[in-house]
Amino acid sequence: MGNFFPRWLNWLPLKLGVAALFIGTGVSLAASYYFTPKYTRVGYEPTQPVPFSHKIHAGQLAMDCRFCHSFGERSSHSNVPTNQVCFNCHGAGKGQIKLTSPKLEPVRKAAETGQPVPWVKVHAAPDYVYFNHSAHLNRGVSCVNCHGKINEMEVVRHDQSQSMGWCLDCHRAPENNLRPLSEITNLAYQASDLDRAAFYKGLIDKKISFEDIAAADPKFEGKVAKDLDGLVAAAKGIYGEKVAQKEVGLQLKKHWQVAPPETCAACHR
Amino acid sequence: MKKIFSHPEEAKTGRRYWRSVNELENREAFLKANGREFPLGDELSEEERETSRRTFLQLMGASASLMGLASCRRPVKNILPYTKSVEWLVPGKPLLYATNMPRPYGATPLVVTTHEGRPTHLTGNALHPSVGGGIDSFAQASILGLYDPNRIQNVTRSGKAKRGREDSSWAELNAFIAKARHAWKEDGGEGTAFLVGAENSPTTSRLRAEVLKALPKAKFYQYEAINRDAQQAVNKALLGEGVTTVVKLDKASRILSLDCDFLGLDPVSDDSAADFTKGRDPEKPDAMNRLYVIENRYTLTGGMADHRKPLAASQLEVAAAALAAEIGKITGDTALAAAAAALAGTADEALKAWIAPAAKDLAAVKGKAVVLAGSRTSEAVQALAAGINNALGAYGSVIQLLQATAAAPAAGSLADLTAAVKAGGVKAVFSFTAADLFFDAPGAEDLNKLFSEKKVVVIHHGLRSSKTQRASKWSIPAAHYLESWGDVTTNDGAYGIVQPMIAPLFDGASENEVYLALLGKKTLGPTVVAAAATPAAGAAPPVAAVAGSEDDPAYTAVRETFAKIAGSLDEQKWNFTLRDGFLKGSKGTAATAALNAAAVAALVGKAKPVAAPSKDALEVVLVPDSSIWDGRYINNAWLQEAPDPITKLTWDNAALIGSKTFRELGLKQGQMVEITTASGKLALPALEAPGHVSNSITIQLGYGQVGVGSVAQQAMVNFNTSEVGEEFAKCGFDAYGLRSSASEWVITGAKLAVQSTIYPLAITQEHNTMEGRAVYREGTTEEYKAEPNFAQVTGTDGHAPDPISLYGGQFGRKTTTNPDGFNYETKHQWGMTIDLSKCIGCTACLIACQSENNIAVVGKDQVIKGRVMQWIRMDRYFATPRLDELPASTDFTGEELENAEMVTQPMACQQCEAAPCETVCPVNATVHTEEGLNAMAYNRCIGTRYCANNCPYTARRFNWFDYNKRPLDELYKGPLSNPEKTGVREISKLQKNPNVTVRMRGVIEKCTYCVQRLESAKIVQMQSQRDSKDFRVAADGVKTACQQSCPTGAIEFGDLANKDSTINKTKASLRNYTVLKYLNTLPRTSYLARIRNVNADMPGAAGITAWSKLNS
Repeated sequence: MGNFFPRWLNWLPLKLGVAALFIGTGVSLAASYYFTPKYTRVGYEPTQPVPFSHKIHAGQLAMDCRFCHSFGERSSHSNVPTNQVCFNCHGAGKGQIKLTSPKLEPVRKAAETGQPVPWVKVHAAPDYVYFNHSAHLNRGVSCVNCHGKINEMEVVRHDQSQSMGWCLDCHRAPENNLRPLSEITNLAYQASDLDRAAFYKGLIDKKISFEDIAAADPKFEGKVAKDLDGLVAAAKGIYGEKVAQKEVGLQLKKHWQVAPPETCAACHR
Repeated sequence: MKKIFSHPEEAKTGRRYWRSVNELENREAFLKANGREFPLGDELSEEERETSRRTFLQLMGASASLMGLASCRRPVKNILPYTKSVEWLVPGKPLLYATNMPRPYGATPLVVTTHEGRPTHLTGNALHPSVGGGIDSFAQASILGLYDPNRIQNVTRSGKAKRGREDSSWAELNAFIAKARHAWKEDGGEGTAFLVGAENSPTTSRLRAEVLKALPKAKFYQYEAINRDAQQAVNKALLGEGVTTVVKLDKASRILSLDCDFLGLDPVSDDSAADFTKGRDPEKPDAMNRLYVIENRYTLTGGMADHRKPLAASQLEVAAAALAAEIGKITGDTALAAAAAALAGTADEALKAWIAPAAKDLAAVKGKAVVLAGSRTSEAVQALAAGINNALGAYGSVIQLLQATAAAPAAGSLADLTAAVKAGGVKAVFSFTAADLFFDAPGAEDLNKLFSEKKVVVIHHGLRSSKTQRASKWSIPAAHYLESWGDVTTNDGAYGIVQPMIAPLFDGASENEVYLALLGKKTLGPTVVAAAATPAAGAAPPVAAVAGSEDDPAYTAVRETFAKIAGSLDEQKWNFTLRDGFLKGSKGTAATAALNAAAVAALVGKAKPVAAPSKDALEVVLVPDSSIWDGRYINNAWLQEAPDPITKLTWDNAALIGSKTFRELGLKQGQMVEITTASGKLALPALEAPGHVSNSITIQLGYGQVGVGSVAQQAMVNFNTSEVGEEFAKCGFDAYGLRSSASEWVITGAKLAVQSTIYPLAITQEHNTMEGRAVYREGTTEEYKAEPNFAQVTGTDGHAPDPISLYGGQFGRKTTTNPDGFNYETKHQWGMTIDLSKCIGCTACLIACQSENNIAVVGKDQVIKGRVMQWIRMDRYFATPRLDELPASTDFTGEELENAEMVTQPMACQQCEAAPCETVCPVNATVHTEEGLNAMAYNRCIGTRYCANNCPYTARRFNWFDYNKRPLDELYKGPLSNPEKTGVREISKLQKNPNVTVRMRGVIEKCTYCVQRLESAKIVQMQSQRDSKDFRVAADGVKTACQQSCPTGAIEFGDLANKDSTINKTKASLRNYTVLKYLNTLPRTSYLARIRNVNADMPGAAGITAWSKLNS
């Protein structure tokens, strides 16, 4: 009896095995990228019914976010403004700006009929996630941390993945994002823009001791400064000429008692 | 060596607490059947079994294709902002408004939570001077009435074809009213009658008077199915015209109730339960009040009694007379003793032996003792009670007398109306009463016939579809009290405003508005809004609450009344009244009445002794129902599924029969019996009721209505009707037919015939059994004084060393020796106590929880399968005081069961620190938070149900179906259900709390300590502190929904880590114990043992609570 199977068949199991390995790796890699919010959400940029430009309003005109999204610091939602807010500037008898622009037609129509402008939601948390704007904005997390540089966007696009892992990254190490409360809506803010002496003076004015300041940041290695100048000098020695984000974040985290919850019940109920 | 854990053995002497006779007597079989967490599987019929494979493939195919379709594209979601900013409204934050719920014979002050204009949750108004701040289950569930999918939505009128109804319009109705007004100008309203309910509204009264002024020949009649007519008549005879009584139970230290369920369905003041529990603090055992109850069946009041005497309702006069004779003798009120002597003579020895020490006890605290007669007891009982109260000096001290000043026109009774119709003097009847005249009036059938014979035009105004509505010529949709302007006075005369939370969902009109229309001051129907006509893409958000506008006649009418009561229309005063919900300082006028002793004697003299009921001449007692009252809440799913506090029956009524009679008749649970009285016949299922007197049958009223709505009709939908009979395809059985106008509430001489059919009854108390473990602890004041920590040393709790927890995990306070413990320094640590001395078992907490936490209703068939979803289970245990060794099984005598005691214990997730559920979850869906909560992440749960199996408190619930997504009768069809019916109706979604996930099929859920409220409280604190330091929520700064609703304040909740919290005081009580302590699960919820204030001279006093402390 001759060889029933041809010779090349001997290698088939190995070939199949190797192929399966490659395919498996490929599928896992593809799934772990393409099926995650990083790919599915970031970059989502739907056309809105009104061609409202954040670039003009928040960027060029430097309007504060809270001029329109007025309740972000008081409520879980950061509200989309009513027509009346638009008409404060664009309305007849008010600002009169671009009164008859055809781009504003949907807004005028909404005011007439009472039927709201159907804005398309860009950032949508699932129904079982209870995110609260006020809990973040009052504690040194800026709009830009989650929404990106809205002031540079003509049309709002999804900037961050806003996946659970992304949330937890910050909840586990909030010092990477905390900033002084006065800078919350300053989308261009960089820690390096801060005046170091003013920052530390602000802390000391709130009756925070030099001991506490030294304890907040392990890089001080427990060395307690005697006065403000000493402190600023010490910080300069560690972080260099410019103020670093970590330097600010660690101080604020400690003195504001920022302890972001990591338990399920914080966001899921 | 493997350690096998076993629970401590059960007591050998006397089974201590049991939930059903079945559990008591057939323990082995009962536990085998019901000891499992999820007792019954689905049983498929032969036909279903055959088609199941095909259905499965269909289902899989359908879901696969749906999945494919759904995942193709990102669903576009819209944000729909308000076009105009709404006053006070911050999107995402609830707004609270004070208002009042008008009710027959009173009102309930409320605070309404609204989310973006939708009312979602009700709580009591704690600022109101007349009430304690809790509310009962009717008020709590009334919000669901607003969103009832079967509310009357259109104006209809009887069609030209017989029996048909045709849609009409508001315009036609307005034309009809205009025509009628024209005719009234001629005849002055001759032949027009108004049938009204018993609400106390000054504006309504004023408008009625105005209507009467405009139509001098019209007549007003009052009708409520469950009425207080007899009581009011007695009050009038004894105390004078227009005198009402308000009993201040907090001023009483000895209370005796003659079938007065003042803690449940027969309140004697605005908040009887709160007043009663004020004198019920076991920490001051000498100041505790003492409650004696005489009743034929168990009521909530009977359950709270220190001494209870089961007595046939027809014998109540004898008991009252015996008591009056005793008290007359002791206090020297010879007139009273003489009046009662004849009846008292017929009392048997056992009754006398019970009455004598009770009378002595009452008379010993003259001025602080009171006897309460139920509002539906006979005239003689009420007169005797009044006489006794007079002898005890209760008038003026415990009982306040108020003089009615309302300008309401005098209203005739239903009998007067019937007579007028018979005489042919009535052409049209405007029916405003919430009762259903042609269903629940005595002789309703004949009345209906009489009305149609005499061609009386009925114009019906109401919220729900009813028999009267269907028989009416015109039907006007009513506005819910949350949609309309109005006002109320509470029993003690405080004036309150009813303000609308939302524009009428179906354009309904309130009673006031109909009067205004009849007076020509208003056009009924929707106010025309230009914009509403063109709905654009995407539904508009629900309309926000309408503010009163000057051109709204109902609003103006209320303001006019307010101006009269407050002295002037002071805008500031009006605004404060709106904010608070009541007018500060308003109260009733005290009456200066003295009891007419001669009238007492006369009323008592009329009573003839009734023979005690016997096997051949049973007595039937008709009572209002704790779920549907007189039948008006039959379409309210929360109330229907809230178990009856005593019988634990849902979705039905039944003939409650005492154990002795039940056994003599050889009945089985749910077996149909036919009851025949002089005026009617009724077949209904029998239910063995421990604590019920023999030869007496209690039946709840209001059930058995047809055509009243989808909820009521769904009760039987998933049953195979060919098995149980087509005639059962409705909700319960109509007992109104058994009564006549001569004997409305207690009917003697009834006969009972046993039928063979067994009817399925959905009783919750056989599920989730605690398997007889020692979970309830109680004692007497004497015992408490002698051994204050008895609850902590009962059973093994006192002597066993602290065991090592079986379940590991984080527990205890974080210290140097326990570094893994909970952080009490910087974190909140939540905890709860439930005071069993105060808990009356009323189920208000259960409905509050349902309302706050979006808990689904599952329907009758699912309840039978043990799938009820309510997070709080109100356990009711009976106990029989037998202390000797127990022989085998069925050996409890009927008498023993008749005298069983009753206790209640609310049981929800105990939030164990070392939680057994957490260790078995394969996906970490239930984990601990650093604040001590046993958290549940629904989106992570895969539905293994291991946690529920491992929960020793059986506190976890599983979503077997998409209860929140599908109508109850389409549950089994899943995605193949009728497309029109699939999905929740829009209107039902409006009630949901946006801060709590609406759970889907296949996940476990349970009590979370209202984590959404805790998180919100913490965030509010963050908002105010920002970069400061104090992030701890203020002591008692957050309340759970159950705590807020509890009428007696039995539930205490708070931050254990805050030394100022009340919870730390209650936890420090020596009565504080945890259930199943020996498991060392370290629950955060603990209970305070119940203390009964026993009178040692009473017969049977020695046995009371004695078995609570038997060693296990």
